[in-house]
Amino acid sequence: MQVEKFYYDNQTVKNFAYATILWGVVGMLAGLLIAVQIYLPAANFGLPLTTFGRVRPVHTNAVIFAFVGNGIFMGVYYSLQRLCKARMFSDALSKIHFWVWQLIIVAAALTLLTGHTTGKEYAELEWPIDIAITLVWVVFGINMFGTILKRREQHLYVAIWFYIATWVTVAMLHIVNSFEIPVSFLKSYSWYAGVQDALVQWWYGHNAVAFFLTTPYLGIMYYFLPKAANRPVYSYRLSIIHFWALIFIYIWAGPHHLLYTALPDWAQSLGTVFSIMLIAPSWGGMLNGLFTLRGAWDKVREDPILKFMVVAITCYGMATFEGPMLSLKNVNAITHFTDWTIAHVHIGALGWNGFLTFAILYWIIPKIFNTQLYSKKLATTHFWVGTIGIVLYAVPMYWAGFTQAMMWKQFTEEGILKYQFLETVTHIVPMYVTRSLGGLIYLVGVFIMVYNLVKTIKSGQLAANEAAEAPALADVVETHGKQYWHKWIEKRPIQMLVISLVLVAIGGLLELVPTFLIKSNIPTIVSVKPYTPLELQGRDIYIKEGCYLCHSQMVRPFRDEVARYGEYSKAGEFVYDHPFQWGSKRTGPDLARIGGKYPDSWHYNHMLEPQSMSPGSIMPSYAWMLDDAIDTASTPAKIRAMKVLGVPYPDGYDQQANADLMKQANAISANLKLDKINTGANKEIIAMIAYLQRVGSDIKLQPASEKK
Amino acid sequence: MSVIIILLIASISVAALFLAAFIWSVRNGQYKDEIAPAVRILFEDKPLEPPTKVEEAKLS
Amino acid sequence: MDKAISKAVTVQCYHCGEDCSKEIIQTQEKSFCCSGCKMVYEILQQNGLCDYYTISNNPGKNQKTKVREDKFSFLDDIKIAASLIQYQDEERTHVQFYLPQIHCSSCLWLLENLHKLAPAVISSKVDFERREVAIVFEHKNYSLRKVAEQLTAIGYEPYLSFNDMGKQLPKTDSSKIYKLGVAGFCFANIMLMSFPEYFGIDAKEKDLLVLFRYANLVLSVPVFFYSATEFYNSAWKSLKHKFLNIDAPIVLAVWVTFARSLYEVLSGTGGGYFDSMSGIVFFMLAGRVLQDKTYRQLSFERDYTSYFPIAVTRIQDNQTAAVVLPDIKLNDTLLIHNEELIPADGILTMGKAFIDYSFVTGESEPVAKEMGEIVYAGGKQIGSNIEILVIKEVAQSYLTRLWNKDETTIEKTNEHSFVHLLSRYFTWIVFGIAIAGATYWYFKDADRIWNVITAVLIIACPCALLLSNTFTNGNILRRLGRNNFYLRNAQVIEDIATADTIVFDKTGTLTTGRYNDIQYEGAPVTWQQKQQLYALASQSTHPLSKAIVEWTGETGSKKVNAFKEVPGYGIEGMVEGNFLLLGSKSFVTHQASKEENDSIVYFSIDEKLLGKFSFRNQYRKQIPDMLQFINKKYALAVLSGDNAGEEKYLRELLGFNTHLMFNQNPSDKLQVIKRLQTQGKKIIMIGDGLNDAGALQQANVGIAISENNNHFTPASDAILSAWQLPKLYQLIQLCKINKRVVMTAFVISVIYNLIGLFFAVQGVLTPLIAAILMPCSSLSILLVTYGLSNFFGTRLGLK
Repeated sequence: MQVEKFYYDNQTVKNFAYATILWGVVGMLAGLLIAVQIYLPAANFGLPLTTFGRVRPVHTNAVIFAFVGNGIFMGVYYSLQRLCKARMFSDALSKIHFWVWQLIIVAAALTLLTGHTTGKEYAELEWPIDIAITLVWVVFGINMFGTILKRREQHLYVAIWFYIATWVTVAMLHIVNSFEIPVSFLKSYSWYAGVQDALVQWWYGHNAVAFFLTTPYLGIMYYFLPKAANRPVYSYRLSIIHFWALIFIYIWAGPHHLLYTALPDWAQSLGTVFSIMLIAPSWGGMLNGLFTLRGAWDKVREDPILKFMVVAITCYGMATFEGPMLSLKNVNAITHFTDWTIAHVHIGALGWNGFLTFAILYWIIPKIFNTQLYSKKLATTHFWVGTIGIVLYAVPMYWAGFTQAMMWKQFTEEGILKYQFLETVTHIVPMYVTRSLGGLIYLVGVFIMVYNLVKTIKSGQLAANEAAEAPALADVVETHGKQYWHKWIEKRPIQMLVISLVLVAIGGLLELVPTFLIKSNIPTIVSVKPYTPLELQGRDIYIKEGCYLCHSQMVRPFRDEVARYGEYSKAGEFVYDHPFQWGSKRTGPDLARIGGKYPDSWHYNHMLEPQSMSPGSIMPSYAWMLDDAIDTASTPAKIRAMKVLGVPYPDGYDQQANADLMKQANAISANLKLDKINTGANKEIIAMIAYLQRVGSDIKLQPASEKK
Repeated sequence: MSVIIILLIASISVAALFLAAFIWSVRNGQYKDEIAPAVRILFEDKPLEPPTKVEEAKLS
Repeated sequence: MDKAISKAVTVQCYHCGEDCSKEIIQTQEKSFCCSGCKMVYEILQQNGLCDYYTISNNPGKNQKTKVREDKFSFLDDIKIAASLIQYQDEERTHVQFYLPQIHCSSCLWLLENLHKLAPAVISSKVDFERREVAIVFEHKNYSLRKVAEQLTAIGYEPYLSFNDMGKQLPKTDSSKIYKLGVAGFCFANIMLMSFPEYFGIDAKEKDLLVLFRYANLVLSVPVFFYSATEFYNSAWKSLKHKFLNIDAPIVLAVWVTFARSLYEVLSGTGGGYFDSMSGIVFFMLAGRVLQDKTYRQLSFERDYTSYFPIAVTRIQDNQTAAVVLPDIKLNDTLLIHNEELIPADGILTMGKAFIDYSFVTGESEPVAKEMGEIVYAGGKQIGSNIEILVIKEVAQSYLTRLWNKDETTIEKTNEHSFVHLLSRYFTWIVFGIAIAGATYWYFKDADRIWNVITAVLIIACPCALLLSNTFTNGNILRRLGRNNFYLRNAQVIEDIATADTIVFDKTGTLTTGRYNDIQYEGAPVTWQQKQQLYALASQSTHPLSKAIVEWTGETGSKKVNAFKEVPGYGIEGMVEGNFLLLGSKSFVTHQASKEENDSIVYFSIDEKLLGKFSFRNQYRKQIPDMLQFINKKYALAVLSGDNAGEEKYLRELLGFNTHLMFNQNPSDKLQVIKRLQTQGKKIIMIGDGLNDAGALQQANVGIAISENNNHFTPASDAILSAWQLPKLYQLIQLCKINKRVVMTAFVISVIYNLIGLFFAVQGVLTPLIAAILMPCSSLSILLVTYGLSNFFGTRLGLK
């Protein structure tokens, strides 16, 4: 039999590479914009869709799912073909995968900017897009397993294992976290409520980091680092152990995002312990990467690609050490809700993902265009610029986070809080400025890369179908000499695919399970009542404008927080919160106890011009809430959905909901009149006020006897 | 916290899946030789002549 | 011109990287040391496989020794072929070859591109660790022989030995790995679901707690019934030998833990200790796996069949044909080629036999045999082809019998390891505590008794001891391996540590077995004469002649007339009109002499005695120092199959209290060891050849010396690379340290046990305490063993 000749599909790789670059730039621009808005609220141009709360999800989604996402696919489509010595399973699927993914990204950007969001961080996309994502993921899966199936190399290189893990786990996470009940085409409510929603969300959130930003990139590292350094990985056995250990531990680290929250103690400790355990495998991977370059540092000195990789891996090491530290309760008590978190994630994003992606781009583009990199010098410049960017970004953020946390916790001798919240913010504005500068510099580096790569591409010519040849995979004769094994082994990838699909199916079945969850939402605090229709609408506006991105709704049981915001939050308070709005960052103060704290008029003016109420505030104006009308048409549907989720509205309430809504609205607008504020009862601001005045107030009506 | 049950089912089934994969890979002798695979990926098969128009057409 | 080159700076052979300044063969600006290397290069170059030379530099192995064209003709024999082929269907054949030459990534690349050379080859996969290549080819128009010859042509001559015949591939037993995997999976998830148990859970979520407990129960079942079987088996085995080994108490503890946990969960009284149980099992398995990591590329179990060729040439009515060894019958006539092994005892019927028995007897000099003399199996013919008439079948031959005699040595059990003894005391103490606790509670509060007893047994199982033992052993083994000292298994560490006598073989162990150490005494030799000497000596294949050739350091092509070789005496010939004699005293001086010393060669030109060369086996570097040093610490003995030529030197070196024995045949060596053992000595025997095989097996520890790791060594407990022999003492020390480390780690873990017992005897051992103690002790043991053994290793100056 002749060796088989076949062609690697570089077209798809090229497409994904281009997409990576494009979305990278877009995502980072969005990031830069909001970074500026933090100290220059006017930078939102007074438009809803350019305001922080709308752009921030665009930034995170663009960077994670568009930039890194396409980066993953670029790396996988390139390396998988070569590791399997086979063309991708199906060109059609490759095309579908590529184009639909880009479509999803565009859809995501549009919907997020127009305020269609589920209000769950990193899972903001609405249900139609969620479904689209699931489908593309299946396409990707078929394409990947198909390729593995028809491979011409018997051994599955460790990188492939990382890819498989990524696929399976992300599928599960996405499905489980995306249970939501559609209200309209672009509106849905999370199936889970309050604490439960929080747990699922951060179980997802953490593993999104683990299996979308880490495992695939580790796989990519295990392929491209040895290639770039032209030397085998330091210890292949270590890489294998690294993989299996990571797989079995990662999945449970999620709850550490909820330390000190209303989440049960044991669940919190669980998150902590597993996070700590994670250090071992993570560092195993990092050291394996760095040791691969031992004795090749001279290479590193002149090769920008290796430079990028070294910094990337180092950042991975830092992030994976810092993560577990942050999940220690006492550390978390300080860092959580501050900019420390922002610094932490950007070490990962800018350093690990960003730099590794750049390295791979620099490596792949010349390869598939069979030419040389246009300018090594520019690449090296990019490297230094980028590194400076990262430093200028991270250092001030760590600093800001730490200082602010310290200020929050300071009391005077008289035992009253030393600083108003606003003071702690204005104090760190300079760091915000430096941060945006760092971001800008990093972005400049990216533009240098774009120029460099464009030049490179011009100088070369794409080998859309790169010829290669390899003998077909001969039957494996099992070591025990049993013949039937090898058939079985050859079928194995199919079986794995099947199992994975079964797994997805299990995920689907779980869709039924939530119904029984509802019973666990029976109010544990009698005084906690469902939201009125108006408040519900207000809450949806709160979500739409992305308020949760700057304001938490979770008072942790610390002296300072109780003193500053009021009684600490109880799990029972959130049973009607679909989705939960605990937030993860306090750019503004916590709102868990905002209800009844200020008069309606205060909120009205504050929304119109925040600085008028709290001078020096960095919150943008939400003037449009005063003009836009509440979408009352949606009220009945929303009420029905909530009933399905077990919120005890009386039967048929959806029909009279709007009546109640108007009644409450009129009351508020009348109340505003007293303060000489004339506004229609049907304006969004009214709903907003209604909601804010309600948040966290139920517990106050609690008869003293029940208070514990 | 009954949601934890979902998470458990999901996580454990995934873990179980990977356990199966692990056992398969050992039994398949994937890790018999821990030196060759790492070296093998470094070999660049030298560029062959690109596909002819005909093959090109066949591909796309 | 020759001169000029020899003086020139060393030139590396492009193929094998050897210094080829002596004679350079050049093609296309590439220089080669020999036509062999050049040929390989040309083949690769014609097939565009020259990346071979770029992936790594001078990747080849020297091709000076030519391989007979028809060497692999025997592979055409259906029977032989069938015995080698692993699997065959209509069009495909699967076969696996052992290629000792595999050593670098170039080898890997070239061998896996075999199909570019031979289109019939469908795939070739290299197992780098085993230095094997698995080849699948279509046998329609290709044959096993062709494959072997193709490999040979590119410098990878397959090593085929008698014991490859019908050999099943070694069955790799990975059951331990599976068990480990399962245990790990269950442990992780059980731990996960034990958290509510540890940190308490709100009253309204009790049902959840119960769910978790049952989930844990389910998950612990595979651990108990599958993963833990590892320990059940070994415990059961030892019990059958009326012996209580360390696994017995562990099994007891595991069972008690499981039983009690089961009870607690089912009765709803508690969460049980499933997490601790599965954790312990997991860690102990990990230790076992680490300790059992064997060196797949080595074999400690070779028998004579690995030295014998798979087939030899038989002459039947003037037809030569390959014949497999078992089929050799009495009175067959065998054709033995140069460098070929004599498979069966026989009578020399044709040709000059020049047989190198060094491997069998340890004599470093080939013996000359005249026609009609008996030649014994195991010898290697040097020089021209010979024919022998078989007088004993292979199975009856000298070598075979010699070997089979050794089979009767008792195989060693590891039951007497101090760990097991220790564990026994430990166990009794634990029982004591348990009973004491029980009696106390009997008077205080009888209901607590079971709680206490079980708790004590759970907390105080000697798993810590097992852990520290396995992990230390594992690490020490790794450390030794890094220093090219490979032990058959962990028990050997202890055997080495307890030994008090070291017995060395001489030839090939202390010495290199080559004659590089020449002294010349007599009249100075002119350059002219040197060249003549060179010319003459290079006519003979005798090692002494070869050595003299080396000594002259000459090259050239002076014609030699009337060359005559008198086996056992010397050689003569006319060079440039001068008549040269080279050989034993009597041969050169034509007068019989009393003291014939095999290792002195006389040299005369035109009947005028010029001088004599005296040869000495060259001792390996630093060996003398090592011997002198180790002599102070151990009782030493040197057994040599060689003549007593070395005695004087060794005496000076080792003093008089050392046994020095010469002209020892294999069974003599075996006897010596036995005698010493009857004097109650614990012996480490260090040897290299088959002639030591018996002794190596009889000794408490047999260490085989090997020039390179994939070279064949006789059955032994350990294999030590020759160049590491000087480190012997340090290596032994590391083995001794093993016990100390284990004890230290154990003592530390006992502290944890005491803490645990403190709670246990009061009957207040909560799962949480157990769950905290378990990983803590396990981890600290890990760190201690790893840290200490590495610390000592480094302090001994080992890699």
